[in-house]
Amino acid sequence: MLELRRASNLDLGAGTPIHGGTEVVPQLRSGLLRTDTLVDVRSIVPRGVASDRIGAGATLREIEQSGEVPEALRDACRLAASPQLRAMGSLGGNLLQSTRCWYWRLNWPCRLHGGDECFAQAGEHGEHAIFANDYCASAHPSDVAAALVALDATLRTERRELELVDLFRVPTEDDRRATTLEEGELMLDVSLPPVEKSVYLKAMDRKRWAFPIVGVAGARIQGEIRIALAGVAPMPWLLEDGLDTATPLPRNAYKVELAAALVKRARAALA
Amino acid sequence: MARLIRTEKEVEGRYEEVWIVVEEDALEQWPAGPRRIVGQPAARIDGRERATGQAVYTADLALPGMLHTAVLRSPHPRARVTHLDLAPALALPGVHAAIGPGDIPQLVDECNYQGVAVAAVCADTLAEARAAVRAIDARFDVLEPLLDPDEAVARGHLLAEPRVRSRGDVERGFADADVVVEAEFRTQVVLHNSLETHQAIVEWVGDGVDVNISTQYIWGIRDGVAEGLGLPPDKVRVVCHYMGGGFGSKNSPDDYTFIAAELARRTQRAVKCALTRREEHTAAGNRNATIQRLRIGARSDGTLTAMSGEFVNAVGWGGWSSSTEGPMQMLYACPNVSTTTHGAKLNLPPMKAFRAPGFVEGTFGLEALLDELAAKLDIDPLELRRLNHADQDEVEGRAYSGKNLLECYRRAEAHWNRRHEVRSRSTDVVKRGVGMASQIWYGGGGPPSYAWVRVGSDGRAAVVTAMQDIGTGTRTAMAQIAAEELGIPLDHVTVSLGDSARGPYAAISAGSSTTPSMGPAVRAAAADARRQIDEIAEQRGTPDAPLAEIVALLEDAQILGKGARGPNPTGMQVLTFGVQVVEVAVDVETGEVTVERVAAVHDVGRVINPLGASSQIEGGIIQGIGHTLSEERLHDRVTGRLLTTTLESYRMPTIADVPEIVSELVDEPDPHLTNLGSKGLGEPPIVPIAAAIANAIRDATGADVRRLPISREEMLRALREAAAREKERVGAPARV
Amino acid sequence: MTQLSVNGHDYAVHGDVGTTLAETLRDELALTGTKVACAEGHCGACTVLVDGTPVLSCITLVHTVEGSEVTTIEGLRDHPLVDAFVRTDALQCGFCTPGQIVSAVALVSRTPDPSSDEIKHAMAGNICRCGAYPKIEEAIRTWRD
Repeated sequence: MLELRRASNLDLGAGTPIHGGTEVVPQLRSGLLRTDTLVDVRSIVPRGVASDRIGAGATLREIEQSGEVPEALRDACRLAASPQLRAMGSLGGNLLQSTRCWYWRLNWPCRLHGGDECFAQAGEHGEHAIFANDYCASAHPSDVAAALVALDATLRTERRELELVDLFRVPTEDDRRATTLEEGELMLDVSLPPVEKSVYLKAMDRKRWAFPIVGVAGARIQGEIRIALAGVAPMPWLLEDGLDTATPLPRNAYKVELAAALVKRARAALA
Repeated sequence: MARLIRTEKEVEGRYEEVWIVVEEDALEQWPAGPRRIVGQPAARIDGRERATGQAVYTADLALPGMLHTAVLRSPHPRARVTHLDLAPALALPGVHAAIGPGDIPQLVDECNYQGVAVAAVCADTLAEARAAVRAIDARFDVLEPLLDPDEAVARGHLLAEPRVRSRGDVERGFADADVVVEAEFRTQVVLHNSLETHQAIVEWVGDGVDVNISTQYIWGIRDGVAEGLGLPPDKVRVVCHYMGGGFGSKNSPDDYTFIAAELARRTQRAVKCALTRREEHTAAGNRNATIQRLRIGARSDGTLTAMSGEFVNAVGWGGWSSSTEGPMQMLYACPNVSTTTHGAKLNLPPMKAFRAPGFVEGTFGLEALLDELAAKLDIDPLELRRLNHADQDEVEGRAYSGKNLLECYRRAEAHWNRRHEVRSRSTDVVKRGVGMASQIWYGGGGPPSYAWVRVGSDGRAAVVTAMQDIGTGTRTAMAQIAAEELGIPLDHVTVSLGDSARGPYAAISAGSSTTPSMGPAVRAAAADARRQIDEIAEQRGTPDAPLAEIVALLEDAQILGKGARGPNPTGMQVLTFGVQVVEVAVDVETGEVTVERVAAVHDVGRVINPLGASSQIEGGIIQGIGHTLSEERLHDRVTGRLLTTTLESYRMPTIADVPEIVSELVDEPDPHLTNLGSKGLGEPPIVPIAAAIANAIRDATGADVRRLPISREEMLRALREAAAREKERVGAPARV
Repeated sequence: MTQLSVNGHDYAVHGDVGTTLAETLRDELALTGTKVACAEGHCGACTVLVDGTPVLSCITLVHTVEGSEVTTIEGLRDHPLVDAFVRTDALQCGFCTPGQIVSAVALVSRTPDPSSDEIKHAMAGNICRCGAYPKIEEAIRTWRD
């Protein structure tokens, strides 16, 4: 029997944290997530939105409507999901969302589920990764994560601070996890350095309410340009070596072309 | 005097001969043009019930003691059930009954497509039923599926013999051509995705059954259930007051109804069986994929000399091979046409009719290739279409009962003439262009169909007929027709429908047939009532007295009129026509296609409700935009298992994808068709949109898109191909 | 037992943890105006207001809205948007319509005179398969007429 506990302090104990529930509830009901206990963390996670610090409990809608945050983050929120999902979903939950890889979502016994095959590689991978895809070709779906990586955000949890990009990892044979968050670790907020200019561009199948085929976030910080991509790798992809190192699969090479066009535009917007 | 006649009946482009009983249909058509009520915009008479959530759909209905069902469906495209034990399911709390292969024909152990039903359980709650299905011990021997349509054709794995249709001498026609174009087009599988999933509630009452079901065809359900259960048809009562969309997929009872019926029989309770959204994506039908290898020849003056096509319908395991060749056969005057259509039988879920099946797909190929021809000939695409206009049906040499396609073209000119201005708004990155495509489709409806009209002493009338309103605004259109004929205000008419026990036989709501089938019957019934009232007025010596004054004398007496749909005109081809002009913007770096404006001009005879009609046009166009740009049901190429089973991975248009839509109807009654001259409009608007978008893309960019959906991948591929072609063309002289 | 406030009425509802708000509204309270079309948060048919914010009741656990005010279509029957939807023919089969109206109510309560872009942005989470969108936009643009 499932139990719901309301967290009253930062010591979560055992259980699965739930905030907006937009990822936890569907996964629970479709059998992707198994847990005995849900821990409602809404009352303990900060949710303020300021130019340099954003609570992990802020909803995407609150961030979208804030005039304070850098444009890349605001637009990433604006172009993410649907209005209802943005009103429900928290920043922290968005960063922790799972891939949209259909094989994973349909619970095929793939490597992320502990199996020994990535079905996308020989199957339908038009929407899948073009970087770091040799083990698992899933694409990270978060627009917001790409924006925050480009913005060089720092994540604070109840036990440590880390560069936001280090929250994410590419799954490997020995460790199939997609994030570095530890058991019971709770995200509190992200802080941002002063940003001179930023931009988020997104290619998707519909004008609204679709995950990115490719999302490109760019930021100029102290004269340096940082570019990060959504939808191109198993984690938000900080573009350090350009697009030439991409390793597209037979049916997603178009994503490289698409990413190149958006990166060019992002750079132009930041100039 | 009643007459029994033999007449032709067409549904979704398929003809059959039927016997019907008709009364004399002596009513003259009303003169063309809007009248007091017919032809005037009317808001839906049931709009408020639907908008406020008071309308009770099958999904909302909870009968006393009702049990819920979950179905075990094959997860494999081809497999044999080697072991099935229902006992673990039956042992769980709340479970009342479980059935498997052998219990009813709809449950099988030879599985030939993913989603075919294997077993089912009913329980007090849906959660209990689902838990029980998970507990069923089922083992499958997974077999190699046949997934490739071309391979199926090569192996002769077909639903039926190839359909060969030919006229003239195609060889000679191509030899006479100055220009020949050919190309291969592919269209994808798309899903109806009615927002109310397929579902039924069945309850045994006495020695019959009551079936509440979300359906497009109350009488088809009645007959199908009666046949399946071995009952006399009148022992089956079918009820559907409101239904949440069908688009062709809800014409028959299907597995869920028979599963509910059997579980209801065993438990003696009402049993609901409702598909989940994911089941809807596998087991509820689809528009099948097609491959079209087309060739068109023309003289340099634009006259078509020959057309040929090889069409492969990737049908799935069941359904039928729809008329993908229809537009090539029917749309233009061309003496030499030859088509072969194969229905590939694959280990994929069966197709079902989906809004102009075959013609949507076939028009994409034909009309896109016709524009490639226009470009080669350097003839204006609108001019080319006019040049090859068919003045009579070329397939069987029949006269059209009514055709105003040239008038549609004339009215489209204003939109077509915008193309220079539209193109001039292109930038280096965003190219704009305009494209058009013509529409041909059925939509004449047919007999039999019946209606009753009841007039009371309060001067109000009720239309009674056991039809269904699938969301097209049927209730409202029927009320308008009755009010017009009776000469009373629209809000004095109610329409009672949705129950086979409370009204006469009514037509299927498919094939754009509801208004042309039912409307004439309703008008005839109202006229019958009116005639009786007039006779009373005559007898009382007040022949000119208003209706209200006469019926006021009735007290509890009532005037009952009845009406029947007459036959279609003998030996004539009853069709709908139209043209759409589309403006697009293409981002040539990202492959993003934005449909900015669609102008639609259609000829469907007399318009009953211009407001509802414009909604049908908009809805068809928007569904077509989804088909053209973003929707695709994918299966894994290795296993054949379906991948896009959610509304996140299967992407239908949202409000943000909608262009400006301008619609216009010729509104000229078909002089030979019924007492109304009205044809259907449900399907015509979705027919030409894909080709018009593809042609606008070519106009904007020079790129030939040949595959639906026009995803980023397809658009960027077509742009690369066009760029390479251009480079070769420009580059060649440079080498000299 | 969970205390639930819906359309101004207080209810004590049953249902184990894991029960969704949509299930409670429809199955326990018989408020079937709220439709469920996908049951996984993708289509918007189940949209209700929780403290004025549009949320997807099919993926909202009923135990997490204790203490909040839930507004369903049944609580909005007298809202002018209902008549606007009917007048402009902004519905066909009507199955998505209650959810559309709830989302629209949330929009106009913050932005009484929304632009076309604002409407498209705020309404993009409500799928209408019949394609009533042009008239949904018209209904929202003219809701006070």
